[in-house]
Amino acid sequence: MAAVSKLREPLVTGGNPKLAAITDAIVAPMENKPSKLWWLAFIPAVTLFVTGFTTIGYQISEGIGTWGLNKTVGWGWDITNFVWWVGIGHAGTAISAILFLFRQKWRTAINRSAEAMTILAVICAAIYPFIHMGRPWFGWWWFAPLPNMRGPLWVNFRSPLLWDFFAISTYFSVSCVFWYFGLIPDIATFRDRTNKKLKKIIYGILSFGWNGSNRDWSHYEIVYGILAGLAAPLVLSVHTIVSMDFATSVIPGWHTTIFPPYFVAGALFSGFAMVLTLLVIARKTQKLEHIITIGHIDNMAKVVLATGMLVGLAYSTEFLIGWYSGSNYEGFIFFSSRMKGPYAWAYWTMISCNVISPQIFWIRKFRRNLTVVFIMSIFVNIGMWFERFVIIVTSLNRDYLPSSWSMYSPTWVEMMEFLGTLGFFFTAYLLFVRFLPTVSIAEVKAVAAWAQPDANHGHATDAPAAGSAGAAAGVLTPSPAAPKEEAHHG
Amino acid sequence: MASPAATPEPSATRELFVGMFTEEHQILSVAKDATDSGLPVEDCFTPYPVHGLDDALGWKRSWIPYASFAYGCFGLFLAISLQTHTQFIDFVPFWKGWPIIIGGKPFLPWPAFIPVFFELTVFCTAHITVLTYLIYRKKFPGAKAKVHIDGVTDDRFAIALDPTADNFDEDEARALFARHGVTEVLTVEGRA
Repeated sequence: MAAVSKLREPLVTGGNPKLAAITDAIVAPMENKPSKLWWLAFIPAVTLFVTGFTTIGYQISEGIGTWGLNKTVGWGWDITNFVWWVGIGHAGTAISAILFLFRQKWRTAINRSAEAMTILAVICAAIYPFIHMGRPWFGWWWFAPLPNMRGPLWVNFRSPLLWDFFAISTYFSVSCVFWYFGLIPDIATFRDRTNKKLKKIIYGILSFGWNGSNRDWSHYEIVYGILAGLAAPLVLSVHTIVSMDFATSVIPGWHTTIFPPYFVAGALFSGFAMVLTLLVIARKTQKLEHIITIGHIDNMAKVVLATGMLVGLAYSTEFLIGWYSGSNYEGFIFFSSRMKGPYAWAYWTMISCNVISPQIFWIRKFRRNLTVVFIMSIFVNIGMWFERFVIIVTSLNRDYLPSSWSMYSPTWVEMMEFLGTLGFFFTAYLLFVRFLPTVSIAEVKAVAAWAQPDANHGHATDAPAAGSAGAAAGVLTPSPAAPKEEAHHG
Repeated sequence: MASPAATPEPSATRELFVGMFTEEHQILSVAKDATDSGLPVEDCFTPYPVHGLDDALGWKRSWIPYASFAYGCFGLFLAISLQTHTQFIDFVPFWKGWPIIIGGKPFLPWPAFIPVFFELTVFCTAHITVLTYLIYRKKFPGAKAKVHIDGVTDDRFAIALDPTADNFDEDEARALFARHGVTEVLTVEGRA
């Protein structure tokens, strides 16, 4: 067994938790009535969701003219929001798959909720190309031949927009499978401890007959590893292909080879920021501070810092090439349009949120200060939204012909639709928190046990499991014989 | 204790002789000792995947990765056929399109097809692999487990022996369990 450094903090804090206490803590939100705070978040979220989706209905019945797009700026908030949501949808599978392959054991506390977030964010993203079609009921011609007199006219596989369709649908469905596959043992855990009849039936159906058999685990771990191995390049491919939607065009500011790595770094950056936004709150309200520890927050803040600087490097590379290429159009976009043009405020918002402000994460004290981390995560969410807005709108609004230059501003329809996707995201996330285990119970147990010393186990003979009544949420019973400093081998 | 039937297959239920433990290292060592001493170990039940348990039980590594490789090849083949057929070749009779001219570019620009090669390969491998697992382990919505042992999805570790096997010796099994700190020995009924 691998040794654990004494310098490294334990992955589950609070002494030497019993396995049952981990189950108790994680399923507590599923067993208790929702708190006032939950309702306080849920009601506005549902309201936004309903209004936003009603607006989508209005937009589809009226047409794309309800948006503020014009001939020059043909992509606006729609594609900005699309790319923003897809980017957010990167952290979940990155945490689950890439950190799994690198054996980063701290992922176990956060992967489940990050994966849920991924799936919801990708749903929000997928709405945009769909409604952008104007007549979305023709959307199935994305993959079926267009009927016409000469025979089937197929889609163009040389187009990055089509690659994107394949990338996003693959990413979405594989992420769903990965997420649910991880959930099966935990749903079984809940099935076995709940006393409520209806819950027992529903979770019984959803648990696929899981009984903890090692014959199942033995193949399960292999399949999980295969999924992780497939999902890791998949995560990278998705935003690479999203970036090609831009990079294969001939629009100055889009036509750059730095785009694929730049977009992937940006996606991880915004994804981790959104995970932080949600988890800083969720760990508190769900009393999971000993499982999603301050060390986890610290690690994620480091990832935000690193990816933020990669994004900063990409920004400066674009400027370098804008100058070094000698292309007037390229140089004009970066040095005149973006930095000093009519949308310069958006550009400088992006730079301050994405490049300058994350630098405070060099300081450990700030990485471990929840208020600072929360505010920073919001900054990054805003900054990354502006990044996409800047890329899309400032490249389009001043094109090759000054006579066709044009400004763009969104209408209330676009704003309401954006709020609607936010409403959907939070509604669905809050329901997830209520009805499914938000932390991977089995995986946390594995790492908690891994970090424990073999000796000092004082709970050999008592206490059968699964007493759900009166489960003390979040209260772990530290074993007095094993203070956390002793957690040095497993 | 031991069922008189020598072959458990035809009966609707079967019994398992189960020892319950509370620690990961106990289940690892008891599984190893029981296997080494030739007791008929049917299965172990754990709340999380215990690494090293397969080795302790002397089980082989899963065959599923080989199947996954085949699914990946299938996905790649699908992607190649889809793109070459729809863009140029038209090898499916009665469903002919025509080569699409886009800016006079080549009809079969294979580098442009790579993203879809990759995506469909991943799509097929991931989905069919999971489907294989679920079918092979008989896991589907509403499936009922053959055996249910209380606590193994929470904080207990169980080892199950087959009491109907010829090499089963109850006294030896009890002694072995006790040596490793068993908390409870029970007989569990399950479906055959």
